[in-house]
Amino acid sequence: MTAQVLDRESATSERKWRRRSLWSLVLLIPLTLAIECYDSVKALLGNSDLFPRRVAWGESARFGGSDWKLTDLRGAFGMSNLPPDSVPVLADFQVKIGDPDLQNRWLGCKVMLIDKDGRRWSPISIVSLKTTDNVQTCISAIFSGAKSGDTLNLRETFLVPKEATKSVRPALGVTSERPHFLLFQLEKD
Amino acid sequence: MLENVGSRLKAWLVAGIGTAAAIAVAGVMGAFGARHEPLSVLAPAGRIETGQWLLRPLKAYTAEGESLYGVPLKPGAKALVLELEMTNRTAKSTKDYFDVLQADQATVDPTTKPFIVLMRDSTLSPELHPGMPERMAYIWQLPDGAAPPASLELTVIRKTYKPRDNLYGLPGWFNPAPIGTLKLPVGSGSDTADIQP
Amino acid sequence: MIRKLANIVLLLVAVSLCYGLQLSKPHYGDLIGPIPARGELGDTVVGRGFEARAEKVEFARNLKVDRFGDSKVLTTGGIWAVVTVEFVARAQSTTVAVASWRGSTGLTYDQTERLSFTNGLLPVAIDPGLPKKARLIFELRPDEASDAVVLVSEKLMSALDSQAEISLGPVAIGPDGLPPGTVDTLDMTQPI
Repeated sequence: MTAQVLDRESATSERKWRRRSLWSLVLLIPLTLAIECYDSVKALLGNSDLFPRRVAWGESARFGGSDWKLTDLRGAFGMSNLPPDSVPVLADFQVKIGDPDLQNRWLGCKVMLIDKDGRRWSPISIVSLKTTDNVQTCISAIFSGAKSGDTLNLRETFLVPKEATKSVRPALGVTSERPHFLLFQLEKD
Repeated sequence: MLENVGSRLKAWLVAGIGTAAAIAVAGVMGAFGARHEPLSVLAPAGRIETGQWLLRPLKAYTAEGESLYGVPLKPGAKALVLELEMTNRTAKSTKDYFDVLQADQATVDPTTKPFIVLMRDSTLSPELHPGMPERMAYIWQLPDGAAPPASLELTVIRKTYKPRDNLYGLPGWFNPAPIGTLKLPVGSGSDTADIQP
Repeated sequence: MIRKLANIVLLLVAVSLCYGLQLSKPHYGDLIGPIPARGELGDTVVGRGFEARAEKVEFARNLKVDRFGDSKVLTTGGIWAVVTVEFVARAQSTTVAVASWRGSTGLTYDQTERLSFTNGLLPVAIDPGLPKKARLIFELRPDEASDAVVLVSEKLMSALDSQAEISLGPVAIGPDGLPPGTVDTLDMTQPI
């Protein structure tokens, strides 16, 4: 075997492998991107309420292992120290507990109001109304120790501008169901 | 064939010698870096510059835990207090003063972290703002039954500015290193006189 | 021989190109930094999550505050600057938590930590369509009062999020080294 033959042979095999490597990049680069992005995309979807599931008035929906039903949405009056042109809004829910593991299934529970433009209001803590003892908020209910089959009454208080009161609808998201969330419809919808 | 083996051997040799040289250089440099130089003794009456801070020690004293700038000490515990004037030399508000002064291990248990208080209104470890001198008190709780020390020995630690750190490419102060020791007489009670320059 | 030389030249060109890129291109820290939304005193500055409008700036030598129910006067080695700002959330309820004062020489003074949020200090929770006023309170050197920019953001690490940058304009410095109109004591117990 002369050195020349050896050279020629290795040159052809080198060219072959170079071509294979280049073609494999077509597959490898998108694959790398997908693997790199996977965690970020998962975190993004798990943290945001993106896709609404509409719930008709009077119906209940299975969400986070329990059955949720909107019982009332109304403005509250007679509160002092409010900013001008704002209205406190109360949203009442009736929840029939299915899976009692609320600390996991209801983790990150967030009730909000969404208006026709997609603006979102979170509950307020500063303005609180006198509530009866058996009414809880979503967060306090997590630690209530409710058992399967129990019915909880939840109430969240919001402050919205007067112009938005006509079009706001309550919505509910929990980490275990994100990116889906419940959007409750009213009687008039 | 033989030629091929020879060139491979040559490549291995070159790589090996290069690695060995690199390790040797790193080792020698490390040895120089680790050379133990005795710390300089700083004058307590002077101003001490630590990179981020300009320090002017005022006084050190021991006191009972009652009216010590609202610091939550154990009832009846004695505390060692160091008062000093601190000026932030950087361009941003910061509270990176927890590691600037290290009390001598013989005086203070090294696991006790001092409370650091703004003397102006007893705010516990607030941010200090650029170019504004403030009187601060470092308060170490002394172990139960310990005799009040006659002097307080401190190690002053500085950090180095990096315009870009290696992880995030952001500016910051890194690599704490001692610049010297400081010895202050310890008086009794907060009416101890200030150190005069 | 020529081939070898050409390789070396190519290597040098590559090295200098990379070095040039490193010198001329923005660094990682700049790329992921906050995105400025600029405006003047009185303008509505529109960021991604909130809008801000600085109403007025006041200077004082002392502040009167409530601390645990007691009235207290806070002194300072420099002066107090109090900026009254009206915030409103845009798409959803949020919290504005961080503010700092950048003086004309670039020294940056964070919001003071000597008051509590009950005095109108940040963080403040804001809702869409409901303007809310807050006070940004800084302790600063009097020579940093003029041509300052107030930086406001929702979170401390507002990487790739908007930061309102409100220019406050020139402030004359009087013969006593303080801005004219510096009051002796500003009452923070009054509602905004």
